[in-house]
Amino acid sequence: MNITKTIFVGAVVAIAGTLFAMPVEPASAASSASLSIVPKKNYTVEPGKSVKDTLVIRNLDADKELELQLNVVDFTFTDDGGTPKLLLDEDAPQTTWSLKPFLTVPKSVVIPPSTSKTLDMSVEIPVNQGAGSFYSAIVYSSGSPDGGNVGLSASGVTLAFVNVPGDVREDLQVEKFGAYNQSSRKYLYLTPNEPLAVAYTLKNAGNVVEAPVGSITISDLFGNKRNISNINPNESLALIGQTRTFTSCIELEKEKVNFNGEETESSACGVPGLWPGFYSLKLDAFYGQNGNRTQEIAAKSWFIYMPVWFIILLVVVAVAIWYYTRKLIRKFKGASRTRQAKKSSRRRR
Amino acid sequence: MKHRLFHLHGLVRPFHHVGSETLIAILIALFLVVTPTGAKRFQERSLYVLKNEPSAITSHTTSFQYMSPDAVGSVEMLYCLDPIPYHPCVTPPGLDVSGATLSGQSGETGFSIRSASTNRIVLTRLPAFISGTGNSSYTFDNIRNPTVTSEAFAIRLKSHASTNASGPQIDFGSVRGQISKSIEIATQVPPMLIFCLAEEVADNCESTNENYYAELGELNPRSTLKTQSQMAIGTNASGGFAITANGGPPSAGTNTIAASKTPTASQPGRNQFGINLVENTSPAVGSDPEGVWTNAVPSPDYNATNKYKYVPGDVVAFSPNVSLMKKFTVSYIINSDPNLRPGVYTTTIVYVASGQF
Repeated sequence: MNITKTIFVGAVVAIAGTLFAMPVEPASAASSASLSIVPKKNYTVEPGKSVKDTLVIRNLDADKELELQLNVVDFTFTDDGGTPKLLLDEDAPQTTWSLKPFLTVPKSVVIPPSTSKTLDMSVEIPVNQGAGSFYSAIVYSSGSPDGGNVGLSASGVTLAFVNVPGDVREDLQVEKFGAYNQSSRKYLYLTPNEPLAVAYTLKNAGNVVEAPVGSITISDLFGNKRNISNINPNESLALIGQTRTFTSCIELEKEKVNFNGEETESSACGVPGLWPGFYSLKLDAFYGQNGNRTQEIAAKSWFIYMPVWFIILLVVVAVAIWYYTRKLIRKFKGASRTRQAKKSSRRRR
Repeated sequence: MKHRLFHLHGLVRPFHHVGSETLIAILIALFLVVTPTGAKRFQERSLYVLKNEPSAITSHTTSFQYMSPDAVGSVEMLYCLDPIPYHPCVTPPGLDVSGATLSGQSGETGFSIRSASTNRIVLTRLPAFISGTGNSSYTFDNIRNPTVTSEAFAIRLKSHASTNASGPQIDFGSVRGQISKSIEIATQVPPMLIFCLAEEVADNCESTNENYYAELGELNPRSTLKTQSQMAIGTNASGGFAITANGGPPSAGTNTIAASKTPTASQPGRNQFGINLVENTSPAVGSDPEGVWTNAVPSPDYNATNKYKYVPGDVVAFSPNVSLMKKFTVSYIINSDPNLRPGVYTTTIVYVASGQF
């Protein structure tokens, strides 16, 4: 019995060892995985009409051709930011805002090394389609490797938005508004660090994507005002059903940079140079699709900027005032005592 | 003195109740008749641009509801980038309403164009009281749209009793408009998203080592299997980019090596799959992101040295706005439990690069 058991265990170990050590078939030569695509497309298409456009894809690899499969998937939001959550699962149900039924793209493309290809695409809206926003993502997949324990596959995405004009339901509600830390993604009310940005969070309960415009006024206790005249500089969108946080720099710094041989403008939040203290904030935002009612959003908020150095300075000043006041009182009391002593000595005489 | 006061009291006493009643009546009359009429906001405001493309010569229809019953003699329509009435007005680039013609009006009618400049139209009529509560709309032809598609514009509206838009305003408000991009524009540099992926890639994505998989060798409960890959990304899109990692953890048939759902240190002897995008010492694998552009960063959960995590669909790196090329090195670790069932454990991680909306 013991011999049988030993043989059995030995066999299992041997098989396991063989399986662990089993070499994986080498992958076949894969295509390039270096691509340049357009990240976003926007269209306005009336019911019963269509638009024809192109998708330009570039193979950046100098040696290998790029083989891409094109697929249209739906997407929604990940959180209160602008990252799309792609519904890549083949069984994923179609969203109510899906562009899939209206969008036509090629199924695949092969692009020679260091060249571009222009693919035809079209959006066709049926006559009876109601107004609203429709969006989906065009996914370009470079394919999967044939072997290895960890395989890599690169995909690029073009987000396609179509606005069907007409009477739409628009409803944005303010949920939060105030100074904002972009790194921690938190609103600030009492902060030791100088806020670089302000933000407002809006809930989109309508049936269209929204991009509010307007201004934010920042006022200090002395009535000095700063105005942020463009509260949505990146043209960010609140998707249907999304609670979206829009951020704006208090001091916007723009810079011309060279991207892939083309001049482009980059922006970042500069140091606004705020003095410590209390600040009030006022939001005046507007939204509304072409031909629909312009709606307003108004909100107020505040923050206190109290840096550590300022607190230390306050303490030092308070201690100094206390010290010199005490000294002054003592001096005064001392002088008073001296006068009294002199008076009493005169009386005694 | 006391005597004089008594005398005065005797004189005015019969009028005491009359005086108070009269005073109350006068106050009520003043309240009802001479209610101060502060400026109100136009309601149901909207703008319809017939051909909503840059620089198009088209018609604009502005609709709104007058809220004050006062006599209106003129309406000012001022086109600005900023809708706030008390902010300085910057004319939307390319806009020209100086040649506008009033082609239609409904609701409160009888208006004609008194004056029109690049960004201002003044409608005038003989002052007349507002007759109804419905919407009024005015259609202007021959307006040249702004050229800027990246920024919305507004029309600041004001009504006046005067016929030349001077003096106190009666109602006010703004309507919003935005020009859509025309797909025929070929001269503009379109936003681009550049992305590449391999075991090793060049900063500008122009070359890779063309290896898209890694053999990790034999799983051993006493040691950690590790490997790394690289990806480079950049975009001139103002919304920035995001890279998500998709695909399941390594599996062999129905057996799977569980992935760390939170950033966790490498734990040899336990089933664990995880990745991060920084240089690590335990085990020694990976490197920090390369590139001067500081706004493109790994996501916080994948940015901790010696901590590994993998949740399919997670954003592993992002940039909130324009980003020049940046190279990220992804580190992978696999640990195995002594009781892990034998098999060839494999996975394919699909990195999806997208713009942000």
